[in-house]
Amino acid sequence: MTKGNNKMLKTCIYSAFAILFTLVVSCQHKEGDAHSHHHGVMDKIEAETGKVDSIPISSDYLNEHIKKIVVDDGEHHFLIPERESHMTSFPCSKCHTDDLDKIQEPEKGKKAHWDIKLQHADISIMNCTTCHSAHNMDKLRTITNETIDLNESYKLCGQCHSGQLKDWKGGGHGKREGGWAPPRVSKTCTNCHNPHSPGFEPRWPSRLNTQKIIERK
Amino acid sequence: MCKENNHSPLQNREAKDADLPLEAAQTEVDGFDQVFDMQMNRRSAFKRITAGLVAGIGAAATSCSVAGSEKSAEKAQMEWEEYFKGNYKVMTEEEKKATVKRIEKSYEQRSGNSLSVSSKEATPGVLFGYAFNISKCQGYMDCINACVEENNQDRSTQMQYIRIHEIEKGHGINFEKADDNYYHEVPAKNHFYMGTQCFHCENPPCVEVCPVQATWKEEDGIVVIDYDWCIGCRYCMAACPYDGRRFNWQTPEIKESEVNKNQHYLGNRLRKKGVMEKCTFCIQRSRNGKNPACVEACPTGARIFGNLLDPTSEIRWVLENKKVFRLKEDLGTEPKFWYYMD
Repeated sequence: MTKGNNKMLKTCIYSAFAILFTLVVSCQHKEGDAHSHHHGVMDKIEAETGKVDSIPISSDYLNEHIKKIVVDDGEHHFLIPERESHMTSFPCSKCHTDDLDKIQEPEKGKKAHWDIKLQHADISIMNCTTCHSAHNMDKLRTITNETIDLNESYKLCGQCHSGQLKDWKGGGHGKREGGWAPPRVSKTCTNCHNPHSPGFEPRWPSRLNTQKIIERK
Repeated sequence: MCKENNHSPLQNREAKDADLPLEAAQTEVDGFDQVFDMQMNRRSAFKRITAGLVAGIGAAATSCSVAGSEKSAEKAQMEWEEYFKGNYKVMTEEEKKATVKRIEKSYEQRSGNSLSVSSKEATPGVLFGYAFNISKCQGYMDCINACVEENNQDRSTQMQYIRIHEIEKGHGINFEKADDNYYHEVPAKNHFYMGTQCFHCENPPCVEVCPVQATWKEEDGIVVIDYDWCIGCRYCMAACPYDGRRFNWQTPEIKESEVNKNQHYLGNRLRKKGVMEKCTFCIQRSRNGKNPACVEACPTGARIFGNLLDPTSEIRWVLENKKVFRLKEDLGTEPKFWYYMD
């Protein structure tokens, strides 16, 4: 065969392939097929987890201003904001110099904490001393009378709310500080819930779309 | 300066003539390369000629004497380049940088205020996913407000990417009976709340139907739109089974003081009339490690966001430990947006 013929044959083959390729692509036309032959996104997650050792995105720059403490139960390891240094008039023993029953003067009424109204469970189940130790106001107490740091109040809440504690540690309950990127800094229970009144109040939605009302008339 | 401008069209033409035979000689047999090279050649040559011409005409018209001439020539040049820019998806890194710079500059010229437009790429090892706790959502709609402010949505038509559906308990999840524009104290008795937005499907039908490839899925799983390549045909809107896409029926209006100046080309940069837009998982935030605005704003913690490829992430824990479901799973769209309950 001559060189010219050879060239023509080659061109023919090339164009045939090109047409075939176009057909195949236009029939399937799936974005990013070269990367994913997975049936579903779960397959993809399984296949691609661990392929990249570490990512260069960090949430450190978002959480620099927060003083943090570690939560580690063996299964989960993350950080929560430290609490004690943010409390006005901590340590409590600055005022609570003696046991609670010794400094109370019921006939004069409440001197402090008059604004706290306990709306947490039933009064037959909980009162102030369920969580606060009458003998050591600087610490919290468990139902078995062990002390817990105010920083680690999640341990106290978790005594009753064990389901929430489990979800929170895993990441299905609560919120992050900063962003999604590691290292994980999660809000602790008392960052969202007032421990004396932990429920969320009903309220009005923050917006009403008046345009939608007009459009749907 | 003046001389150079007047000469540039000629120089460009020469450059073009000089380029062509050389390229032709290089691409002798390979069919594909030949076709693509030809196209690139023509386009770049055309671009060079027009850019040169505009600059030349601009300079000539003002007789090279007024100081403003340079400015207007620069403006004209910028407008040309903006008009003839390609699809963001196929731009090189330099082209992307030049494009976002142009947008920043033209905004500065228009409003006098500065803007930061990012072209940050996806990070390898990151695949974004979202989970929504229907036991937690109370229907406050704080997420919608945060989204509108973050993403520069049109205020006059009250465009919103997120919808919160109020659904009566005991009747399953029926969106036809749900109310997404309630206004009364929430949570309403005997109702639950469910948010929808773009689900960033792994197999997005909206991407398949786009006739101009103005929408695509990025490597980190975010489905994005090139607003300047979109022709506004709304095929994608029709193809989306989740009502995730929105159309700009009129020029979006945002008070200058309310414009979020921290933008991404594929995210919250200012749109125009007649193009599609939707949730981008706040690409301008999420690619920098932040949570989307809705996640940050939610007071109940009903919204979980994170990296699906990180086995220690919260989103992975939710998928592996809670009973999760997605909407219309039988369609095979594979949304990366799961619902779960306490």
